[in-house]
Amino acid sequence: MLLCKSINKRFRDAIGLLLFILSLLYGCAFDVIHLNQNPCQIEKGTSNLKSFSLGKEIQITLDTGYNRTLKNGVIWNYVGLIPPGEVFKTNDQILTVEGSNIFEAYIVVSSGKLIGFYLPVEKAFSSISVPIELEIIELKRIQ
Amino acid sequence: MKSFLKLILILVISLFMISCAATGPKFTELSSSISILPPDTGRIFIYRTSFLGGAVQPEVELNGEVIGKAVPAGFFYADRKPGNYEVLTSTEVDRRLSLTLDSGQVRYVRLDVSFGFFVGHIFPVLVEDEVGKKEIQECRYVEYKQPVEQNQKEEPGDELK
Repeated sequence: MLLCKSINKRFRDAIGLLLFILSLLYGCAFDVIHLNQNPCQIEKGTSNLKSFSLGKEIQITLDTGYNRTLKNGVIWNYVGLIPPGEVFKTNDQILTVEGSNIFEAYIVVSSGKLIGFYLPVEKAFSSISVPIELEIIELKRIQ
Repeated sequence: MKSFLKLILILVISLFMISCAATGPKFTELSSSISILPPDTGRIFIYRTSFLGGAVQPEVELNGEVIGKAVPAGFFYADRKPGNYEVLTSTEVDRRLSLTLDSGQVRYVRLDVSFGFFVGHIFPVLVEDEVGKKEIQECRYVEYKQPVEQNQKEEPGDELK
């Protein structure tokens, strides 16, 4: 009788512990990958560079852990200016950034370096922790 | 005996997958009859190629409006004014894709599947046009019927009034 009670108690404890762990996992396991976003307004601004292409392909590891590629030869056109840098978009490749959700993105360039992404739908800037030097081939300058 | 059981298992799985798949006309059969894009609009094709988690078929929302279901090997599309859009699928979690749409632009959104806690997660991915055009060819059209609200149901004899 005592043995039976002990087993029952152990079983109850095990189930309780399992449920506790499951509830913890369920509560926190899904939306853990957040993409940093700072709201910002894009302005027409001024840039010397109207469009450019890249001399070599760029591999980017986002801060969320996902990888993206900026393809060689793709033409990037100036869209506008946000406080961190100049915004360029392309029609030649799909570019998105990804956390738990996926966002269409343009690139943000400052002093010849990729410093992050502009999210046109969210109207926000998402920075990358390590800026990446771009091999810019100038195609058109704004007169 | 073992090989017979394997065969039965394969048959059951195959039947299950077929029963979960879209049954409408193939994209290749339908493409000629898909309407030309109206002026000042863009088109978003949404499709799912994966049979993985075939029983998980959440509704797909475009800016809060349900426009279809994530049926394996199925596709549907929506013509919309240029602007910003959000594609949303909900299973045990919400998965969002934000994208822009220009006038005359055609965009392809693939519904991918990943493992979840209790059920698989369906998440929308914006793909390159060439990839989308190729992958959608074998998908079948999924017609979405809005569920009829209880208070909108026709009363018997309504047609006689």
